[in-house]
Amino acid sequence: MARISLNGALCATLSLTLGLAHAQKVDTITIGVAVAQTSNTALLGQEQVIGARFAEKYLNARGGINGTPFKLVFQDTGGDEAGAINAFQTLITKDRVIGIVGPTLSQQAFASDPIAERAKVPVLGPSNTAKGIPQIGNFIARVSAPVAVVAPNAVRQALKLDPKIKDVAVLYAQNDAFSTSETGTFQETVKAQGLNLATVQKFQTTDTDFTTQVTAVLNAKVDLVIISGLAADGGNLIKQLRQLGYKGLIIGGNGMNTSNMFPVCQKLCDGVIIAQAYSPAQSSAANQVFVKEYSAQYKKAPPQFAAQAYAGVQVMVEALKVIDRKKKLNTWDLDDLRVELNKQILLGKYNTPLGLLAFDKEGEIIQKEFYVAQIKMKDAKTGSFVYLK
Amino acid sequence: MELSALLQNLLNGLAIGSVYAIFALGYTLVFSILGIINFAHGAVFTLGAYFTYTLVVGQFENNGLFKGVNLFPGGSPLSGHPVTFALATLVGAALAGLVAVLIERVAFRPMRSRGADPLLALVSSLGVALVIVNLIQLLVGAEIYNFPSDAYGEVRPALSFTLGGNVVIIRTVQVVIFAVSLVMLAVLGFVIGRTKIGKALRAVAENPTTASLLGISVDRFIVITFFLSGFVGGLAGTLVGTAFGVAGPYFGVAYGLKGLAVIVLGGLGSIPGAVLGGLVIGLAEAFVPADYSAYKDAVAFALLFIILLVRPQGLLGRSAIQKV
Repeated sequence: MARISLNGALCATLSLTLGLAHAQKVDTITIGVAVAQTSNTALLGQEQVIGARFAEKYLNARGGINGTPFKLVFQDTGGDEAGAINAFQTLITKDRVIGIVGPTLSQQAFASDPIAERAKVPVLGPSNTAKGIPQIGNFIARVSAPVAVVAPNAVRQALKLDPKIKDVAVLYAQNDAFSTSETGTFQETVKAQGLNLATVQKFQTTDTDFTTQVTAVLNAKVDLVIISGLAADGGNLIKQLRQLGYKGLIIGGNGMNTSNMFPVCQKLCDGVIIAQAYSPAQSSAANQVFVKEYSAQYKKAPPQFAAQAYAGVQVMVEALKVIDRKKKLNTWDLDDLRVELNKQILLGKYNTPLGLLAFDKEGEIIQKEFYVAQIKMKDAKTGSFVYLK
Repeated sequence: MELSALLQNLLNGLAIGSVYAIFALGYTLVFSILGIINFAHGAVFTLGAYFTYTLVVGQFENNGLFKGVNLFPGGSPLSGHPVTFALATLVGAALAGLVAVLIERVAFRPMRSRGADPLLALVSSLGVALVIVNLIQLLVGAEIYNFPSDAYGEVRPALSFTLGGNVVIIRTVQVVIFAVSLVMLAVLGFVIGRTKIGKALRAVAENPTTASLLGISVDRFIVITFFLSGFVGGLAGTLVGTAFGVAGPYFGVAYGLKGLAVIVLGGLGSIPGAVLGGLVIGLAEAFVPADYSAYKDAVAFALLFIILLVRPQGLLGRSAIQKV
């Protein structure tokens, strides 16, 4: 009974707050960015902050929304579901944003996106690649390609580089939803290509010592190792594989598509093949400007997380531009504008650093290009992803 | 299990178990003196790794207030040679020891002087731990920091051979970790068991009031205890950091939990117990089959649970005797 009363009170409060918002016009064009700035997910979230800030600076310098600058409001989601829920609620009710780019993790999205859905606030997931994200609701879309379409390309490229590959080891971070989803795709691809799945090894993203897994891989005498993990654990695993004598090809999943991995495995990163939803080598003008600006400031190529956050903000801004041309944004009621923005996001086509993007009616990204790159290390810390055609 | 796998697991377990052991010693030292778990010990472990990294590399990346800072543009004078690297490691551990002393001043002494419930000191240390890890993130970001890959001459394994058709490999870093841990345990054992400082520490641990009446400055020896605790914690952090990389400000959290399991398993307040507990947990993890290695934490804690059911005081702990 107490729980029912509490839920009722919360709903009433939320409805009242949203109701108050309904009555007000849009005075400032504010887009929310809810990503992990703290916690052990911060490495990814901080890259997203950089990407979003780049978009804010770059797009505002080029006229913003038809001459009116827009503003990003950042809320830290931390690394858990509760943090994402709080961030979304604050952005919706206090900051009164028009739309939200976020959150960082798929697990967080499953918790926080329904809040935006209920409030009818459009959300663009910048790095939510798990199955089922756009299906959370009508207001949920993503600029992050699902793993199922990215991963198989890397296996095909490895076979191009070494057609003699027969036996394959697959390793994945079992405590990470993205990695477990991606490894399924990798394993299906291995079988579909007629290769022998010699061993499957699991680890945790928090693991540091991979001797057990590496010796199992060495004893399986495989020709190819496929790893689904994140930068720290994946990089460490690659380092230990090489240090302990594995000489064959290594494929890293999309979670390892970041130059943050370079300092981890250092020169031992050399030659690793990476499946990518974003490549700094992508030739569009939008991407080349982004790469140039990012590299000038950070002395390295932009990572995928930064590019996807940039794309998220860009999509919202371009959709708002279209709406503004029809009817000035400051004449809209906030609730109506949110609904209209959601419609326009799904209708448009966007030339972003990720390449040409569009969305299907559910909000799933339609991305034209995917990439496979091979890491070339220049020295112990710096290297680059060389695009493989 | 094949002989090669048995041998490999044994060596892996001893290496990681020895890190757990010296990390847990820090917990044990403080517990034996104050009867309180210092939850900030995991943060001190993290700090030890960052301090050594600063001395050896001193370069900070994209995020945090130290963004772009390079303390040694021409390369650190403490980098590039095992001896200077060892020196940096000791200085890093000593700095971690000083932070532990500061923690004692901030989080424990005020509570003690007011005669507060020990639970408050425990919560206070938890607060300090959170402040430290967030401060690290604020200053140097959430980046992964890595020591030079050849810090230990880690170019090739220390030992590699085939047994029954399977390869057995010992990484150089595993040998270094095990050797340093053994030396550290021997030194600490000597200090506590054979020196005047050790005797005084044991007296304070036994009964602070009586020790005080015998002319031992209890506060001074508590400070020494915290320094030693921080030193070994920081050293463990550096060992893990150099072996696997410093995986961000939160990388001590998992070791903090594991360390708790180790001291409970070994027997709260028992130094030999901390060593034994560390090795047992390390070996238990190592013997989890490779296909199920993701569950090794669960196996380690399940083992702890089972042993505590049989022997509640831990492997080498003493049963509490209540006089009536």
